[in-house]
Amino acid sequence: MAAKNAPTSMYRNEEGLGVWEHRGKVAAVGVGHSPTARRWDERPETSVGAWSILALRRAIEDAGVPPEEVDGLVIVPVTTTGAFWPDDKPLPMDAINAFNQTDDPLDGIAKLSDEWLLKNMPELTGVKYTAYGPVCMSNALNVAAQAVGEGLTNTCLVLKAWHNLEGRYYQGGKNAANAIDGTSAMKNLWGAPACYGTALQFAEYCRKYGKTHEMMSPFMSNSRRNGLMFPEGYWSQHRPEVLNSEDYELARWIAKPANLFDNDIPIMVAAAYLFTTAERAKDMRQKPVYILSHASSETKPRSMTPTLDEVEADTVRTSRMIYEGAGIKASDLSFENMYDGFTLFHQFHIEGLGYRGIKPGEALDFYQGDISIEGPNPVSPSGGNIGSGRSRFWMHTDCIQQLQGRAGARQVTGVKPEIAVSGGPMPLGGNYTVWSATPD
Amino acid sequence: MAILISFDIDGTLEVGDPPGAVTMDMVRIARAKGFLTGSCSDRPMSTQRAIWSAHGIEFDFVCYKHMLAEIKINFNADAYWHIGDRDDLDRKYAMRAGFDFLWPDEAVEMEWFRV
Repeated sequence: MAAKNAPTSMYRNEEGLGVWEHRGKVAAVGVGHSPTARRWDERPETSVGAWSILALRRAIEDAGVPPEEVDGLVIVPVTTTGAFWPDDKPLPMDAINAFNQTDDPLDGIAKLSDEWLLKNMPELTGVKYTAYGPVCMSNALNVAAQAVGEGLTNTCLVLKAWHNLEGRYYQGGKNAANAIDGTSAMKNLWGAPACYGTALQFAEYCRKYGKTHEMMSPFMSNSRRNGLMFPEGYWSQHRPEVLNSEDYELARWIAKPANLFDNDIPIMVAAAYLFTTAERAKDMRQKPVYILSHASSETKPRSMTPTLDEVEADTVRTSRMIYEGAGIKASDLSFENMYDGFTLFHQFHIEGLGYRGIKPGEALDFYQGDISIEGPNPVSPSGGNIGSGRSRFWMHTDCIQQLQGRAGARQVTGVKPEIAVSGGPMPLGGNYTVWSATPD
Repeated sequence: MAILISFDIDGTLEVGDPPGAVTMDMVRIARAKGFLTGSCSDRPMSTQRAIWSAHGIEFDFVCYKHMLAEIKINFNADAYWHIGDRDDLDRKYAMRAGFDFLWPDEAVEMEWFRV
């Protein structure tokens, strides 16, 4: 049983599909996280494979489900965006040999397959459905929700893990090669930092609406504050550093107007969730969080980098899909947990949503008000990647925990947590999930 | 002769992530000798202040790496040194700002840090 990327038919990427046919019939119950680390120390027990197993086992335990009852596994096979094992570096055989191997020696070290996980989790005897959700947890969640809804699996684990290696991010892989293939030849040839596209969009946004980079400061401080209340996160575990306006505004530019702190810190971490049917969820250990719908944007930009116009149009279109599928309105959202890594596109996501009535060009003004978890308009209560490091899944964990009432110090208090949305990554090209405390 | 030393943190000071070769005691010794000292790091400036305070070490400045030139303007010294572990982020900015530069393993051999 070798997993493949989920078929296009599993995604809801068009308007006019109506309310999701499985609305409220799929639930998230268990959550499991590994520890975090800045980089891998090359010990077997801290490898991305080991931490993936740990996260999966914790999700199973959290849900209170016998492991043999798990019959589905949806994972993201890629575990980095910029840390690649160097061709000239010897393989870490001690770590490789500590696990049951597949044909790829870097499986479990710098990537993941369903085969590797099942070979190293003998307790998962009942898995009959496996699939890959490419790139992000956001994608894998859509696949898992649809798979449970369609009856392809009844009790499904969803996993995303990240490795980070010694050395500089984005300096290996294709970026270190003498030749670049495909569209990368157009996009990456000039060595621009990863955030440059978002920086261009944000610069145009500021010009169009008369805003400034400094207006991001309250969002940044709020996100880091929320992250420091996320015990599973990197900053909370290792470097409990606040980010005040001076800290943020004086930082050096990476791609002006994106500065150092507008970029998230690469880390090692894994997270897993346990999805099941609403019916089965009733008997599990944690309160079910019901999925009202999922939506995807697969819009391709006309050129190398999406323009502001394209971004604004597509986030609005995506939000129409989100609301249509879930059968809700913007005013039904208790809070939002859209993606933030890079920080300078979070406002595109929430303006597209029309969160709290925000219109295009108004989000940075909105940030100047009370966006805390204690107020009536929580923004990114997870703290996102800014608050906890590069994972692209804090927002999903937070939505589940908030609606279960177990977000701890991060629990929203200014609103009743009833319906939330999370997803990303990019404004063009993302996957979104609508969560609810009740099935209807 | 007044000497100003700017310390990078991560990969340079023992309290950095990763830890570096320069100990906090070495900084204390330099301060006791009258050196002007502070940090120049990518860590948030509030964090830099907190690190010095947590170790009971007074500091003359904290700044980001692209701000080294301002330190030279604001402090009158006969010599300006930056100690760091990155060519692209420490040595480059130090050279640009007119600082002399030392790698951490070079710095710990300096007489500055001996009682």
